[in-house]
Amino acid sequence: MDFRFTEEEEAFRKEVQDFLRKSLPPDWLGVDPGPEEESREEVYPLALEMWRNLGAKGWIGLTWPKEYGGQEASLWKEMTLLQELAYRGVPGMDLAIAQADLFLNFGPEEQKRRFIPPIARGEVKWAIGMSEPNAGSDTFAVQLRAVEEEDCFVLNGQKIWSSGAHHAKYQVVYARTDPDKHLGLSVFIVDLESPGITMRQITQMTGIPAFCEVFFDNVRVPKENLLGEKNGGWQILLHAFGAERTYGLFIIYNAKRYLEQLVQYCRETYVNGQPLAKDPLIRNRLAQIAIEIEVGLNLGHELNWMATQGMPTVKASSQIKVHGAAVAQRMANLGQQILGLYGPLNEDSKWVKLGGRFRHTYLSAVAFSMAGGTSETSRNHIAGRFGLGLPRK
Amino acid sequence: MDFRFTDEEEAFRKEVRDFFEKELPPDWPGVDPDMYHEDSFEEIHQVSQEMQRKLAAKGWLGLTWPKKYGGQEAPLWKQMILEEVLTYRGAPGYDAYSFLGGCGDLILEFGTEEQRQKFIPPMCRGEVKWATGMSEPNAGSDLANLQLRADLQGDYFILNGQKTWQSAAHHADYGLVYCRTDPEARKHRGISIIIVDYKSPGITMSRIVHMSELGAFNEMFYDNVKVPKENLLGELNGAWGLVMAALSHERTYGVQLIVNIKRDLDLLVQYCKETRVNGQPLAKNALIRNELADMAIQLEVARTLGYKLNWMALKGLNVITTANQMKILGGILTQKLAILGMQILGLYGQLGPAGGNWRQMDEKKDKWAKLGGRMKHLYLSTVCNTIAGGTTEVARNAIATMGLGLPREPRPEKK
Amino acid sequence: MDLSFSEEQEMLWKSARDFLANKCPKTMVREMEEDEKGYVPELWKEMADLGWIGLPFPEKYGGGGFSFLDLVVLLEEMGRACLPGPFISTVVLGGLPILEWGTEEQKQNILPQVCEGKAILTLALTEPSARYDAASIQIKATPEGDNYVISGTKLFVHDAHIADSIIVVARTAEKASPEEGITLFIVDGKSPGISTFVLRTIAGDKQCELTMDKVKVPKANILGKVDQGWGMIKKIVEWAALAKSAEMMGGAQQVLEMTIDYAKERVQFDRPIGSFQIIQHYLADMSIDVDSSRVSLHKAAWMLGEGIPCTKEISVIKGWISEAYRRVTAQAHQIHGAIGFTKDHDLELYFRRAKAGELFFGDADFHREIVAQQLGL
Repeated sequence: MDFRFTEEEEAFRKEVQDFLRKSLPPDWLGVDPGPEEESREEVYPLALEMWRNLGAKGWIGLTWPKEYGGQEASLWKEMTLLQELAYRGVPGMDLAIAQADLFLNFGPEEQKRRFIPPIARGEVKWAIGMSEPNAGSDTFAVQLRAVEEEDCFVLNGQKIWSSGAHHAKYQVVYARTDPDKHLGLSVFIVDLESPGITMRQITQMTGIPAFCEVFFDNVRVPKENLLGEKNGGWQILLHAFGAERTYGLFIIYNAKRYLEQLVQYCRETYVNGQPLAKDPLIRNRLAQIAIEIEVGLNLGHELNWMATQGMPTVKASSQIKVHGAAVAQRMANLGQQILGLYGPLNEDSKWVKLGGRFRHTYLSAVAFSMAGGTSETSRNHIAGRFGLGLPRK
Repeated sequence: MDFRFTDEEEAFRKEVRDFFEKELPPDWPGVDPDMYHEDSFEEIHQVSQEMQRKLAAKGWLGLTWPKKYGGQEAPLWKQMILEEVLTYRGAPGYDAYSFLGGCGDLILEFGTEEQRQKFIPPMCRGEVKWATGMSEPNAGSDLANLQLRADLQGDYFILNGQKTWQSAAHHADYGLVYCRTDPEARKHRGISIIIVDYKSPGITMSRIVHMSELGAFNEMFYDNVKVPKENLLGELNGAWGLVMAALSHERTYGVQLIVNIKRDLDLLVQYCKETRVNGQPLAKNALIRNELADMAIQLEVARTLGYKLNWMALKGLNVITTANQMKILGGILTQKLAILGMQILGLYGQLGPAGGNWRQMDEKKDKWAKLGGRMKHLYLSTVCNTIAGGTTEVARNAIATMGLGLPREPRPEKK
Repeated sequence: MDLSFSEEQEMLWKSARDFLANKCPKTMVREMEEDEKGYVPELWKEMADLGWIGLPFPEKYGGGGFSFLDLVVLLEEMGRACLPGPFISTVVLGGLPILEWGTEEQKQNILPQVCEGKAILTLALTEPSARYDAASIQIKATPEGDNYVISGTKLFVHDAHIADSIIVVARTAEKASPEEGITLFIVDGKSPGISTFVLRTIAGDKQCELTMDKVKVPKANILGKVDQGWGMIKKIVEWAALAKSAEMMGGAQQVLEMTIDYAKERVQFDRPIGSFQIIQHYLADMSIDVDSSRVSLHKAAWMLGEGIPCTKEISVIKGWISEAYRRVTAQAHQIHGAIGFTKDHDLELYFRRAKAGELFFGDADFHREIVAQQLGL
């Protein structure tokens, strides 16, 4: 047993840290992982720049085959990068990475060559078209129709909660090609500039218009944009769920940054002549969050190790997702408690503390137990046949 | 809206307080309303019996019942006040369940005149103890799954089968036993309630000890037990309707738990004021203050809800949702308090006499126990508060479906 | 990073599990709660013969030379089986300090006996203030010729009544800071002036009141340096907390397994209760508590074995598992319903041990304070 990272991994971590020191503004307080905060006007340019810079460094798709622009590096190297990015709250790492993984596993050569290299270069952004008004946790309840014609598929319907779609070039769309609920989905690569597509941005309670509704009105999609087999979408969906291994871990790294900012704040802030850091209640509660984060990170490292060993990871990734969301929410709550009346202030307020990050996380953390799969469905996965083996009915 | 009690109510409250001040033994730390201590330890059982007689002499058993059966026809609020004071003092001898929503109320509402004449007066005179026979090894939350057979043969029901978790049974004279009288009918449609004399031949009991070391429960085995058919309560195969009525009366459990645990909160506060660690009273420890205050807030909120529940009952409103809420709060908050008490006592929380029996403290083994080992006992005994008398999960189901109007979970197809 | 067990560790836990499944039935566990000594001497001898008691001690003293992580692997199995007896007292509270700070003579006198299963040790640290801080050490040890004389009462001393040697923590000087002036003494358990009796505790473990009435201890029995004992105590507290966390881990895993099995078997409403979503979610949450504890435990133990400072990691696991194990047992009870809260069901053994473990060498608040310090607060 050995909990150390290798010298190579540590060296790479340092390389990433140096890169971030140079690429990020000196007073960078961080943004949450994922495309949501990129929709802030002031963040988007940096996000685009970071995406390109990461591409220029060859750090997008570290594990991908070299022929598509990858480095064929180890999973550990990729995790080292992604964890550091989450911890520093770096924008720009696009959902495209997860989509490229789908091409690598399900796409024909032609699609791999067409789509993966631009992603590796950080030139193009992608969105996911999975959820619909009637297909949330019940993912297979997709209704958006894709009807096969001679030279294309014609898509009609609607997607919702598509993060960053308004910035994306392509969307990976899960559509119904057959009435069979589970065996009737197909996956399409849709150019979001296609005729027939309209979008409406939805503002989240954080105030950021990060989501989109995407409407498909007789949108023609070339047959070569079908990913995998017709009606074979279930396989891709399951793979996508499994690949969602990392979300919980990134949430926890993200929370670690917030915690450290809070600790620093407590050390520097005096109330009635005493630093907040000496308040017994605050010490106790910050320590508890630190413990929960530490324990979560340990779970996450174990999960990564299991992935490198080819062990099944459904249970562990679901566990860390549930834990990560809960810890982030508790941390956000604690942040508000500690900041007191200052907690709810907007980032542009004269009196705001910590750049208003804690107001933001209090609102954004609400979504952590829903996005990418709710904590309830995660618990179902833990309990079910990939986990504890509990019976269905 | 007026949250005050009337002068009359306050006067009665004072009367009850004074009574217990006078009648309880001076060292009485209080027993829990589940009566497990009274049923487990002979010396405490004695005190309980005496108190039951004293309460009867005051006319305080079956307060609201018709005078012709020995009750006082007093208003319900009087019984509520009695129970509140009694529970807060931890007084023994009063089985609230028997008198409200349980045995007595059911007999009065659904019994024949003969049954009322026969069974109610001794209850009011404090001469008997009653129990309820519901649970079986395969009928816990799924009560309707019960199997104990009662076959009508001539003038008698013949009972065969097994009950379990029968609290109070070894001291009880009678029980309301839920039996299967129609094996062909679907589950809850074939159940009857039969009044059984617990001294009947064919009944054997085997004590079950709770993890708190209280010998409070029994398994009961029925081997061809003959019960006169006149002891059928209500309609044959009609018990389920009675169960529903009983549940709607069953206010008391959650309320009692909350009132009872206030005594323990007060005990903890006092302990923190008096106990110094490294020169400082525990009461000045910031973490402890915060947690005690938090506990006090939750208890106060629950207690106020309990008053509302009582008021609703007085008004004849439907209390199912609120009663279930109180049951949940009662279970959870008592457990939280036990955890807090253990936290405050630290290493000392581990110490105390078996079953929390303060009358049997060993001068060496229990020498260092604080508060008579009450917190250790609470920690072990409260485990069942979210299970006994209906689990928290079942209570939440009731709130969700009957209270919030949410759809029931679809039943699986029967194989 | 490699989170697998070595072959040796795999063998260790598997053989320990089989051995204890056979030799540590719950009937024996319950008997030992009532038993005066609290352990079965024949079993202790067998454990010594297996090399368990000498596991972390160097071979030159008759030990196995295993790491703390190996010890943790073994302790998990002991926790799973609810093994009663003075194992942690002897190996961790008594043996490891002597190994770390003892003179060669002290080590030779005591450690081989320990490894052979012939000596039981413990540590007398807490006093009636029942805290683990330096200011709470008030018992005085006064020099008199070639001896020190110790008088006073220690409380919650595990296995003092059967210990051959007791490491007593006493104050030898009053200095500016309470952390200075503390000394550790290896006291013969049969010294005149020592009296013990066993307290009745929630888990039936043998915690004692230890009274010393002018007990003479030769100066040669000082462990480490005079007045400089507190630094040693801090380390011992860490080892003890970690060892107990391992035992708790094994118990928590067993409770989870038991409850999953029960949820699959118990039928109500014509279906196994494990098919109800809420039960599934309870068990899912329990599994998070259990699995997160395990990896955090192993990390701390590995670090300790590698000589990497791990004060924070040890307080992380003890602070975490103190509450996680309690949650797991409470939730297990809720799922088991009434059958689980009877005295003769196994579950209540774990519930009580979870509480005892929580309090052993620092509850969650104690360890959170250490983490707070580590955070720089």
